[in-house]
Amino acid sequence: MKKRSGLLTVLAVLAVTLVLGSSIGTAWAYFTTYVETEGGYTVRLEEETTIEEEFFAWMKRVVITVEEGTQPVYVRARAFGGDAYPLSYWYEAVDAAGQKSEYPLPSEDSRWIPGADGFYYYRDYLFYDKDNADAGRTESLLVRIENAPEGAAPDFDVVVVYETLPVKYKEDGTAYRADEINWEEEAKLSVDQAEGGTE
Amino acid sequence: MRRIKKFIQSPKTTVVIFGLAVVLLLFSSIGGSRAALTYFSETYASRVQMYSIGVTLMEKNDGKKEAEAIAFRDYDNAASDGTWDEGRGMLLDGLLGNEADEEPQAPIVGKRYNEELSVHNSGDIDQYVRVSIYKYWGRDPEEKGQKPIKDRTLDPGLIDLNLVNLMNTDAGTSGGVWLVDGEASTRERTVLYYSKVLRAGDTTEPFTDTLMIREMAAKRVTQEVTEEVIEEETTDDGQIITSKGKKVKTIKTTYDYDGVKFFVEAKVDAVQDHNAVDAIWSAWGRRVTVDDDKKTLSLD
Repeated sequence: MKKRSGLLTVLAVLAVTLVLGSSIGTAWAYFTTYVETEGGYTVRLEEETTIEEEFFAWMKRVVITVEEGTQPVYVRARAFGGDAYPLSYWYEAVDAAGQKSEYPLPSEDSRWIPGADGFYYYRDYLFYDKDNADAGRTESLLVRIENAPEGAAPDFDVVVVYETLPVKYKEDGTAYRADEINWEEEAKLSVDQAEGGTE
Repeated sequence: MRRIKKFIQSPKTTVVIFGLAVVLLLFSSIGGSRAALTYFSETYASRVQMYSIGVTLMEKNDGKKEAEAIAFRDYDNAASDGTWDEGRGMLLDGLLGNEADEEPQAPIVGKRYNEELSVHNSGDIDQYVRVSIYKYWGRDPEEKGQKPIKDRTLDPGLIDLNLVNLMNTDAGTSGGVWLVDGEASTRERTVLYYSKVLRAGDTTEPFTDTLMIREMAAKRVTQEVTEEVIEEETTDDGQIITSKGKKVKTIKTTYDYDGVKFFVEAKVDAVQDHNAVDAIWSAWGRRVTVDDDKKTLSLD
């Protein structure tokens, strides 16, 4: 009788365990959730500039312009000519009466600033603004050919070279001034060579 | 009558009945799983306390002066039918300071923009959270709802999403609250664990503060060099203008990162705080230790 009672107790415990055990499956499921999202922006680094050159009275007038969609750029320019015809640099200003006059560089009134390397650096960087055309074009830089001969013009070349550099920004978003830029250092690029062709 | 009594009281009968009970119990659960719940009592529902888990990614930048929910997924407690209340906005919206309806401009390379991300517990149970951040370059998918198309030739390291409030950095431990999982992190992916339990209704300390595209992106270019051999050219009177075999080299330079889109993706996982060690192992596959007193989490 004692043996039978023990068996019944064991069976009862087993039954209770089975009933409780049937709910273990739900205890293993944990409360979890997740959320995800993404976003981004397209980087624009394209750069397209044009130079307008006009020759008149032994003088070359140079204006550099950035095109729509171009990132802001710094500009520098210089001219090369033969030894027989030295060059001088001028800028153009418009007086109150609307009359244009030329004045020699360097001048505090001009945005063209001479550098020690022979280049003239534009004080402001250029950027495209559809509502303000002046923001995207330089003032005129005038290159005068000195010792110009009388009479018919001889054969000679005056070549204007200009360079642009993408504007460099500080971390707060303000741009470095043009005179804070080390052109030789900033112009260094990390170049990958792509396959070319011979025609 | 005595026979029946003897039959009932015999141990064999008890064992057989027990076996039948076991079979019935097992079959009862199968039947339950097949049956769909089609009716429940309103009174019954009102007496049950349901717990719901929910998590929200919060974002603050120049276009959002106060932290706003950018994406959330909360268990719908009111419905209690397994549905989730969820919403998802675009990450980095307003980064450049533009309003939502404005045409987005291109970011300035080298400028550091404000971008503060944090996690809010929008459920009603305490939880542990982890964040996985992915950074990569690519372009938009062709169909809406699909993942962006990655360009793995470009360097995700140039997308500088600055992490803050870190507990462990390269320089050692600091007083932060976010643990970097070095084993799971790569150049493209960073995995962070919030070391504290996130109470219901609370928001974590931010894990980022700024975003910048590094200047190197404006210096990586590809140059295509083309050489052309010009044949001899002469004028009408036979004068040679160009010598035969003269080579002209043309170098075309393009910026590698021009016109490419950078993406930042954030995924937030949350898990219940009860039995957290096992829950995290089960849900995230990561061994962690949780201090029972302070409820702080550390990575094994």
